[in-house]
Parts: sequence; C-alpha cells; structure tokens
Amino acid sequence: MKRRTRIFIACSPHARVGATTTARLLTDYFLYNNAVVEGFDLDPHESAYSALFPGVVSVVDAADIKGQISLFDRLLIDDGAPKIVDVWRRSFERFFSTVKEIGFFEEARNRGLEAILLFHADEQASSLATAQALHAAWPDVTQFVVNNEGAAPLGREAPDILARYPAAGKFAIPPLEAPVRRLLDDPELSLTRFLREPPTDMSLVVRAALKAWIAPVFTQFRSYELRRELEASDLFR
Amino acid sequence: MARKTPRDKKPLHAKHDENARPLPEAAPPPEKVERKMKPAVIIVGADKGGVGKTTISRALLDYLSANHIRTRAFDTETPRGTLHRFHPEVTTIVDMTSTSDQMKIIDTLEAAREHVSVIDVRAGGLTPALIALRDMGFLEAVKTGEIAFILFHVLGSSIASLDEIDEIAPYVQDARYFLVKNHVNDTTFFDWDPVTHRKYFEKVSTAGEITIPKLNEMSYEQVEIAGTPYSTFVANKTAEGDAAGHSFVLRGYVRTWQAKIAEELDRVGLLDLMSGKSGKSAKDKS
Repeated sequence: MKRRTRIFIACSPHARVGATTTARLLTDYFLYNNAVVEGFDLDPHESAYSALFPGVVSVVDAADIKGQISLFDRLLIDDGAPKIVDVWRRSFERFFSTVKEIGFFEEARNRGLEAILLFHADEQASSLATAQALHAAWPDVTQFVVNNEGAAPLGREAPDILARYPAAGKFAIPPLEAPVRRLLDDPELSLTRFLREPPTDMSLVVRAALKAWIAPVFTQFRSYELRRELEASDLFR
Repeated sequence: MARKTPRDKKPLHAKHDENARPLPEAAPPPEKVERKMKPAVIIVGADKGGVGKTTISRALLDYLSANHIRTRAFDTETPRGTLHRFHPEVTTIVDMTSTSDQMKIIDTLEAAREHVSVIDVRAGGLTPALIALRDMGFLEAVKTGEIAFILFHVLGSSIASLDEIDEIAPYVQDARYFLVKNHVNDTTFFDWDPVTHRKYFEKVSTAGEITIPKLNEMSYEQVEIAGTPYSTFVANKTAEGDAAGHSFVLRGYVRTWQAKIAEELDRVGLLDLMSGKSGKSAKDKS
C-alpha cells in the first residue's frame, strides 16, 4: 500500500498560539521515528522553527514569488516525505490567498497528495470564523484543530469552543511549567536527541517534565497515524 | 502548440489543471461552438509602443482558441513580429500598406476557414491601417453588415495623445470600439484625471472598457522566455508539445490571470459581437 505524501500546514491568524510548537513537535515525531521529513518556516525574520532543525527546515518568504516557487513547487513533489509548513502569523493571509490564486490544494489533490490544516484555536471569535472560512473554501482539505493549552488556554469552555471548529479531529498540546518552557526556547535543544539520549547534565525533574509533556503529544500523533492507516487499509473497503 | 495538441496527450497534471477550475480551456456551452458566424476582424492597436499591445493579442488568441473559434492572426511588425514568435502556426507577418498583403487579409475573409482574423497593428500604425482599410472598401463592408469589425484600442497608464482619437474617430463609426486598459506590467495604477478621461470619451462612442489585470513580473518573464502561448505555458508544455518543467506557482498565476481576462471578454460579450449579435452593451466604469 502506497502511503500518500502529506502536507501539514500549522497555522493561525494570531500570534503566540503555538503553531511553531506544533510544527516542531510534529517534525520531531517524524525524525524520532526515523522518517524523512521536510519543513518550511514562513517567518523570514525570526525563523525559530528553522533554527531548531538545520538542514531539515528551510526559510521561505511567502510574500516573494521566488519564495512561493521554492515553497509550493516543492510541496507538490510526491516523494513520500511528509512536509510541514509553519505559517507565520503575518504571512497567513498571503499564504492562503496565494494557495487560492494558484489552485494549490486542487493541484495537491490531483497529484494524490494529502493536505492537512493544523488550525490553532484560541478564545477569539475571529479564529473560529477564519477556520470556518477555510473549511468553506476547501471542504475537501482535512482540518485538525490544535489547542495549545499553555499558549492559548480556553478554560472550562474548551470542549464547547473546540467542538465548534469544522475539524476532523483535535490535538491537544499540554501546558508546560515555566522553567521547562524556557528550556524549549533554546534552539540547541533537539527533542529527538533528548528522547534518544536524555542529557545527563539536565535536572531529573526537568527531564521527567519534558518527557511527560512530549509523550501524550506523540501518542496523539501515533494514534492519528494508526487511524489513518486503518481507514486506508483494505479492511474497510 | 496547445491548440493543435490532442487532449489525450496532455500530461496528467496538466489535464487536472483544467479539472481544478473551469478556466479558459473548459468546453464552452454548445451554442457558442455551433453558432454560425460572419467573418470578424479584430484590430488590436495602440497610440504608442510599450503598452503591451501584443500581450493583449496573445491573450485574445488564447481566449478564442479556448472557445473553439478558429482564428488567424496578422502581425504588422515587419520584418520580425512578436506575435508571430508566440503563435507561429496561426500568424502571418504582413505589411498593411502593401496591396498584396492587404489582399491576403481582406480578400480571404469570406473564404478563410477561420472566422476571425486578429490584426496586431504596430505602434503608431493604427491610423494608417484604418485609412488602408477604408480605401480598400473594408469599412463599407462593415457598414453593410457583411463583416463584424471590432477594435481594441490599448491604452497605457498615461495617454500618449488625445489627437489620435480625433484621427481614428471617423473610421470607427461602425466598429465595436473597446478601450483596453492594460495593467499587465503595471507598477502603478492609472492616473487619468476625470477631465482628461471625459474628453477622451467624448470623441468616440465606445462599446465599453476592458481591463487587463496585472500579471506578476516573474510569470510574465517566464512565458516570454518560453516563447509559447499562455495556454501552452499553463499546460506545462513546450512549443513542440513536450512536457515542460514550468513552476506550478507561475503557471497558477498565469492561469488565474487568463481567467480574469476571459471574464472581461465574456462580460463585454465578445463572442456574441463576432457572431453579429448585439452583444452586451458594457457601458460601465466610465
């Protein structure tokens, strides 16, 4: 069974709701599982995502046609390697208007690729409206709603708010204690390396907290993968 | 050339391009194909050079071809025509002032297998071309309704000369006269002040305005380099019909740009005008 090449698009119309964190976790998830993955960081100024994965994630300016060529033409290559795009908040509109103008999602579908939007929820009503608009524009494109409980806490209303999103599923990124969160900002800290060989000079408590944070996220990714494989398998035909 | 390429030979993704959205290459409603047409002549001219006149002719040829209208083109940029470079199979290079070339265009209108003749008139050649057409009795045939005559007057972002309108006006009484605002290579928008604008329109009665949207520089350049019709570029083909390696992003931009032009030409009812129907009177935006 040939697996469809996937294009993950981590996005939100708002800043600081955890899109880069999701892109990072997903990239590490694939790398940890020895998969080839390719990332695209659309923030040409503070390219935090690309800084974490030298040689894996490239920086692209979506406002520039040359940048668009190196992004979209590359994303359309059906090589089996998952592609992950971290849409910078300020390139959000430009990104989707270009997608619309050039017919990117339609072309991706025609080439047998699967585009997956990882839409980051927050408490603002405009986020929900944007997610619905994206769904209305491309009903065939799978949309997942991501709730970063640390960056964009939704409080007790969370289940109700998330239920309104036009999503095929949900990923929850748990909150982190401040000392561990600061550690994550260090571009030298590779989660893949950390999981394989936890650094001995790191505090035991921090190590445990970081592992406890990553584990449920990876479990969700794994469960999504299994579900997807099941759905694609002959058993369900 | 795309128009000569059998559809089943197109590469998979190019074929899918068409499925993605019903753009210029999609099949038109049947009545547009079957309709009986009288010969139509479309002249594309401009006050001055450098307003992208040939770009309009090229877009027009793509539009007609997408609508399955057999078209031939004449390029008056002798000896080496730009239009001919992009559409060599349908284009003949002519000298509008030579009698033998005039005969090539006019005397064959009825007999030609193509219903529509597009004449790309070189910069500054519009008035001489119209005089030549009058002298050879063409305008008379237009008056009696034997031939449909459509004039695309391409304007740049500034008006070169209002005088030209005075010169042209007597010849275009029976023509469908369209002002074409060409933004294709624009970096700025039109800066016509209302007074100039009104003066311009007082002199001739126009059938409407056609706006050609901007195409980003890189896409424009890549098609120039490819030297093929826009539709061939969009289909990711070379002039010889082989698979080309054009960027999907650039092809997407060109395709959307073509679709916008098609919308404009549909809006003014160009196909109806050529079949002798009245077309839509597009007196808007003036």
